[in-house]
Amino acid sequence: MLLMDSLDRIQSALYQAARRRRLQQALLGMWKGFFCGILLWVLSLIIYKLAPIPFDFLVYSGITAAIMTLVGFIWGWNRPQTLLQTARWMDLTQNTEERLSTALELKDSSIEKEWKELLVKDAVKVVDNLDIKKGISFSLPRVSRWAFLLLLLGFGLGFVPEYRTKAYVQEKKDVKNIQETGKQLAELTRRSLQQRPPAMEPTRKALENVAELGEVMAKTELTRSEALKDLANMSDKLKQETREMADSPAMKALEKAAKSSSKGGSGGAPDLQKQIDKLSQQLGNQAANPDALEKFKKDLEQAKELAQNLPDKNSPAMDAAKEKLEQALADLSKQSKDMGMSLPSLDEAIAALQQSDIDEVLKDLAVAEVSLEKMRDMAKTLEKLQMQMEKLGTDLAEQLKNGQAEAAQNTLAKMAEQLQSSKLTPEQLQKMLEEVSKATKPASEYGKVGELLKQAASEMQAGQKSEASKSLAQAGDELSKMISEMGDAQSILASLEALQRAQMSIANGQSWSNSDVPGMNSKSGQGNGQPGRGVGTWTDEDSWVYPEFTDKWDNSGITQQEMEARAQTDRGDGGLADNLVATKVKGQMTPGGPMPSITMKGVSIKGTSKVAVKEMVGAAQSDAQAALSQDQVPRAYQGAVRDYFNDLKE
Amino acid sequence: MSSETQIQEFRKIYNDLRQEIGKVIVGHESIVDGTLFALFAGGHVLLEGVPGLGKTLLVRTLSQVLDLSFNRIQFTPDLMPADILGTNLVVEDDNGRRAFQFQHGPVFAHLLLADEINRATPKTQSALLEAMQEHSVTAGGAIRKLEEPFFVLATQNPIDQEGTYPLPEAQLDRFFFKLLVTYPTGPELNEVLTRTTENRKTEIRQVITRERLVEIQSLVRQVPVASHVKDYAVRLILATHPKSETAVAITNQYLRFGSSPRGGQTLILAAKVRALTQGRFNVSFDDIQAVLFPTLRHRLILNFEAEAEGITTDMVLQQILKDVPKDASVAA
Repeated sequence: MLLMDSLDRIQSALYQAARRRRLQQALLGMWKGFFCGILLWVLSLIIYKLAPIPFDFLVYSGITAAIMTLVGFIWGWNRPQTLLQTARWMDLTQNTEERLSTALELKDSSIEKEWKELLVKDAVKVVDNLDIKKGISFSLPRVSRWAFLLLLLGFGLGFVPEYRTKAYVQEKKDVKNIQETGKQLAELTRRSLQQRPPAMEPTRKALENVAELGEVMAKTELTRSEALKDLANMSDKLKQETREMADSPAMKALEKAAKSSSKGGSGGAPDLQKQIDKLSQQLGNQAANPDALEKFKKDLEQAKELAQNLPDKNSPAMDAAKEKLEQALADLSKQSKDMGMSLPSLDEAIAALQQSDIDEVLKDLAVAEVSLEKMRDMAKTLEKLQMQMEKLGTDLAEQLKNGQAEAAQNTLAKMAEQLQSSKLTPEQLQKMLEEVSKATKPASEYGKVGELLKQAASEMQAGQKSEASKSLAQAGDELSKMISEMGDAQSILASLEALQRAQMSIANGQSWSNSDVPGMNSKSGQGNGQPGRGVGTWTDEDSWVYPEFTDKWDNSGITQQEMEARAQTDRGDGGLADNLVATKVKGQMTPGGPMPSITMKGVSIKGTSKVAVKEMVGAAQSDAQAALSQDQVPRAYQGAVRDYFNDLKE
Repeated sequence: MSSETQIQEFRKIYNDLRQEIGKVIVGHESIVDGTLFALFAGGHVLLEGVPGLGKTLLVRTLSQVLDLSFNRIQFTPDLMPADILGTNLVVEDDNGRRAFQFQHGPVFAHLLLADEINRATPKTQSALLEAMQEHSVTAGGAIRKLEEPFFVLATQNPIDQEGTYPLPEAQLDRFFFKLLVTYPTGPELNEVLTRTTENRKTEIRQVITRERLVEIQSLVRQVPVASHVKDYAVRLILATHPKSETAVAITNQYLRFGSSPRGGQTLILAAKVRALTQGRFNVSFDDIQAVLFPTLRHRLILNFEAEAEGITTDMVLQQILKDVPKDASVAA
């Protein structure tokens, strides 16, 4: 009985130990799994730092580490131990000298009972002295230290930059650039398809192919050569299509008209008229004359010069000079009112002069000068638009000849309408017949239009007004169709431009936004004959000749307090930051001498200078002086700009 | 008498023996323990050490504390087997009749000191084989049992090897323990000098009777051994077998032959004695490890490479201890 009790005590203690042992093993398994996982992860990190493997590899190895930790726990938990195994383990770890295991093993053996009792008694003594919770603690195992050490190593490695070859970095940059370019290309083309759906199926397909190519480039990792090859193939296809379209004589005429017109295209008469009206309204009655404005400007400059050269306040000549200036300003004010211009700054200058505030006078005069500049530009623009308006064909024949298809279409529609009208007099019919007959020759370049006009003319001769009206309407429809085709051609050209821009972007390794195609900017796409921005000194002249007129353009009436002019001294001398201070470079540029060769990605500039450095410097200085005198340079920078250009003399 | 009482008495006797021997022998605790272990396990001991370390004195002291008959044989090259075992002599009785009568040799004692055993020829050395293993002597066509307990304590000198005959493996295997007697430490030597150079007489009392010794030898064999402890002893023995699956690396490298099963028996028996001396009723791994060296060092045969490199069997055993896990299942 005593033996059984003692055995129960031993077994009870061993059960408790077995439970804790199981949890301990699970935790140990977890730590082992964590260690293996973290080791794997650190190895992956090292490989990642040294070799160009994808970042995903690190992510997956991290996930694997987490899984291994979990698997380690499960593995440890799923290894239940028998009581005898626990007893043996306890003997080994708790230094009980095999008392527990021997007692447990031999309790059912054939040895003498006396010896069994001795063994059990001895084991119970040991069990009574055992603190199982203390003996089987859940402290961090040794492997955890290594795991933490590895974790620390991984953390440290995180700060180590990755070793990548230049070629690899470039390749990655290219891939990214290609993807970005592809995305932009696809977006641009899709937007174009939505905004201006092509009239012809082949055009739509071609544009969709471009969009698809862009999407493929955005999604897949293409090399530079592959991308360029694909883009070149697509460009060839589009060019081929453009060539086919361009073979049509009507298209040639339309294209010619498109090239000769600046903005309005082949049928911009109403738009042009609208712009002319708007400008005229803004400029007043007589201001439309740029010459008068130029004369007024010169007078204003003289007045300004007078103000600048005013003698000292205490000087006896002061009064006379002041009077003279007052007179000049009054004349200018009167003149501006006569011209219908509004220059309030002139009146302010007169008021300031009366108060002997010369600085204010100068400032007001400068403002008046700027306003005048703007007016002069507007007047020039108006003149140009009027000239353009004059170029528009007056009759159907001229319109067709000039390729003004929309205008011709409008004329045809009017004619068809008139023919349907009962009010059409025989004279008008005759006149119309003449106009149509005259237009048959230029219309022959528009395919069916010519035939339809001939038919209409013969019908008009035969007095078949209704049939003639139909024929004219059909001719108009035919023209409309051609305009749509022209629109398609423009879409293709735009797409072609986008493709070339993509090619440039990829070839130069620049982003889409930084890339532009020389000779293929938005203006050149419309055929203005200028090579566009890019290499060289060309500029978009239209940007200042024909400013974009919008309601937001003229902000002269708006006063913003934070933008109000301040005294020059308010902002100090206007010195530049150290990194902006000009450095003198001693060059050896002589006229006719070799120019340094500058090679950029995909573009090489080589040549011979044709301009003497002194001339160039002189021109730059005069331009700078002009800009300074016209307040085009912010006041804070005026001092620095003046110093810089003065230094160039040396 | 219950086993528990017997064990307690054994521990007392053991401690008394140590104490009494300690009166004469200074230091050498491990040698004294080893000798007593072998005595209680019923085995023989081979003491190896340079002359003058007290080997013979130990045996003589042992004979005094035990109530046993004691004989000493000084082994020399001209010693004959009959000089050890005894021989038949023609004896004339009172009636004038002559008959052969067996004259017992010195082997017929409870405690036999075989001094410098390696100086006798192999033939003579072999005369002890039967006596040591079977506790009997065959002479003149008759087998004569030796009286229990029979205990051989042999000494040998590791230096001055000229004119010696190394003990054959079979002979060595019959020794329960081989104990290496080393030089005493400074304080021990000091004490030795004091005791031996002054007129001091040491009184030694008898501690145990012959019958009690036999009982204790029987008690030792009753000590239970758990299967995994026995398995450890087996794995240790198997690890000494070169070119076998169980061999460890050093065995394959330096051993020509490993331990015999007798080595395993000795290991367990010695461990049992040690367990009792430690106050335990079971054999532990520590017991096995503690008696491994004296048990197996003379049972392992080194190869030429080991001899050339100065490797000893103790070194090999040390490595085997490291390589063989205590409990294979728990260690896994």
